[in-house]
Amino acid sequence: VTIEQVLQLLTLLPFVAIFLVVVREAVWRPYRTHVLIALFFSALALAVGIGWVFALLEAEQPRVVQAVTRTLAVALPYLLLRLVAEFAAVPRLLMAAAGIGLVVGVGIVFLFPDLPPLATAFIVAYFAVLQLYSAARFVGAARSEPGVTRRRMQAAAAGSVLLGATILVAGVRITIHDDGMLGELLLRLTLLGSGLAYLAGFAPPPLLRRAWQQPELQAFLQRVTRLPWVGDIATVLRGLEAGAASAFGADRASIMLWDPETGILWVPGDGPDGRGTEARPGQYIAGRAFAEGRPIFTLNAAADDPEHADVYRAFGARAVMSAPIVAGGERLGVLSVYGPRPPVFAEDDLDLVQLLADQAAVTLEARRLLEEAADLRAREEATRLRDDFLSAAAHDIKTPLTSIMGFAQILEIKAEADPDEPVNVDLLRRISSEAQRLRQLVDRLLDAGRGEVGGLVGKHREDVDLADLAREVCGRYRRPLHPCVVQADGRIPAAVDRIRMAQLIENLIQNGQKYSPDGGEITVRLWSEPGADGGVARISVEDRGIGIPAQDLPHVFDRFRRAGNIDDRRFAGMGLGLYICRMIAEQHGGRIWVESQVGAGSTFHVAVPRNGPMTEEEATG
Amino acid sequence: MIAAPVNQLGSRIKAPILVVDDDENILDLVVMSLEITGYSTESARDGAEALEAVERGRPGLVLLDMRMPRLDGWGFARGLAERGIGDIPVVVMTAAHDARRWAEEIGADAYLEKPFDVHQLLDTVKRVLEERGG
Repeated sequence: VTIEQVLQLLTLLPFVAIFLVVVREAVWRPYRTHVLIALFFSALALAVGIGWVFALLEAEQPRVVQAVTRTLAVALPYLLLRLVAEFAAVPRLLMAAAGIGLVVGVGIVFLFPDLPPLATAFIVAYFAVLQLYSAARFVGAARSEPGVTRRRMQAAAAGSVLLGATILVAGVRITIHDDGMLGELLLRLTLLGSGLAYLAGFAPPPLLRRAWQQPELQAFLQRVTRLPWVGDIATVLRGLEAGAASAFGADRASIMLWDPETGILWVPGDGPDGRGTEARPGQYIAGRAFAEGRPIFTLNAAADDPEHADVYRAFGARAVMSAPIVAGGERLGVLSVYGPRPPVFAEDDLDLVQLLADQAAVTLEARRLLEEAADLRAREEATRLRDDFLSAAAHDIKTPLTSIMGFAQILEIKAEADPDEPVNVDLLRRISSEAQRLRQLVDRLLDAGRGEVGGLVGKHREDVDLADLAREVCGRYRRPLHPCVVQADGRIPAAVDRIRMAQLIENLIQNGQKYSPDGGEITVRLWSEPGADGGVARISVEDRGIGIPAQDLPHVFDRFRRAGNIDDRRFAGMGLGLYICRMIAEQHGGRIWVESQVGAGSTFHVAVPRNGPMTEEEATG
Repeated sequence: MIAAPVNQLGSRIKAPILVVDDDENILDLVVMSLEITGYSTESARDGAEALEAVERGRPGLVLLDMRMPRLDGWGFARGLAERGIGDIPVVVMTAAHDARRWAEEIGADAYLEKPFDVHQLLDTVKRVLEERGG
């Protein structure tokens, strides 16, 4: 076996490999691009193969065979140009010239089998010009393509240049009648180079493909790593879509989510439940990929899915690739990438779409887990608040209950010991007043329930002097440790629900006293603020108590919520007082807020419209 | 005015029972219950008042509410310990569901969970005094 024979076999192998791959692809997916690629490499493999067979037999090629081989060779640059025209605009004039050149070339091959120098020069020039032009267009297209396609375009350009060089070497050798080893070696090496470059371009081995996909995948991963932690599901999907579109250099990508309960694929949008477009499995290209559980693509979506042709045209999508998003055997949705023109190397792109869909599955799954964890925390918090509330409610109810039971038993013991002694009226009065306190607690529980549905404040409004009302309430809450003082400039008339307004002021005073364990004056201030529609009545209740930490300020008016610095051991409470205050203020069309400093005290502010809440007509008119 | 003692044990106790509660009704109720049984009592509205009372004279037993303004039950118990009289029998009275734990925390002899009835109160006082007094 000579070195020459080894070289010849080596030269043949890449072309046979490419031939097998592209013919299989053309049969599998008979698109025009695939057919042209198959034609080009069939011609090339045949030309190289025939040469190899006769070299192996150490026989001269018969004239006819030689002519056929040369015809195949002359056809190559024309076929390549047709392939280039699939993804780049080739001038018509050039295409026509190439056609004429092909006819002339074939004529020369058959009419001048000895290939006189002029004929050889024509064929070589024809070959070289078209190969270089095609190579240049491959390079140009590579610039606008992402990742794998770019590398494959570059490899195709290199293959075309080297094939041109091979013909150039062959032409020179024929012209100068060179039979030397060096010329043969040069010819073989350029052909081998061309074969390997074309192999990388048109039939890249999986390892090479993965390596070329790496940068896109990496960039995508970098974009989506933080996604599970940001915002709402729509934001996450937008992030994934932008990442996928950018990985392809495509105009847009979209993700549809699977709702197993309704059996519908949907995208976030402006519709009810925050949904936009919806599709059943099998509908749209996306729905087909989802239903079939494998990535699919179409070069012309409008033609393949005529039912939704207008939708595809509306956002300029011609080629569509879709891949199902699956995590742990569970279908989550489908990822689609839309492009204005067909992908040159569809199978790679389809591969990448599936890779990105798999990554999207990881992102969505991570997000779901995070959401579940947050839900769990919220449920635990709600349970804790309810438990705290129940134990506080129990405490508040047990104290008056103890008095009622005890005083009644004392009356009983006394009556048994001396039936003739008159009943102790003071004890009866206390039992009655503690029963009232119990009733107030039950009312408060019921009020909290009513406040929830907006029925706390009745429709009825009467003109009340709030200053007078505040003095009356304050009078009931004078304690040696907590003097209650009202400051008001004259009358503060307002149309309110008198009983609820009194309850609001009472709750705020009680609250101030409760959270001033070391004593301190409770100051109730009232004033009127002029404004449209009669203006606003203002009430503030100030204490010098323990205050409220800044982080708890937004929550103090929530139901069951109590500030973090409230030591459960010192202050029993249901956390309903301020919630009821807020309900009363809001249902009067007003509002309540608080200013506070830990250790210095709190000031609660209430503002209610003096003419009662605006009716809907007033609000809009 | 007060009926004959129901329980003669009370008359043998010289030192008064100190009742501490910020709720006026509970305070009066406990004092009344003890007095119709024949115990002598003193009362205080918070931990600070209670410590003042203890300084005036050592009580035979303290009935102690835990959640109070100014000085709470824990503060009062610390006050007793600081004065070297932590051995005075204490019975905790509270409406909190943690009554038992709180009683253990301050080393009380017993606890009464509100709502308690008069008989429960008197039984507990009697039992603790017997255990401590021998």
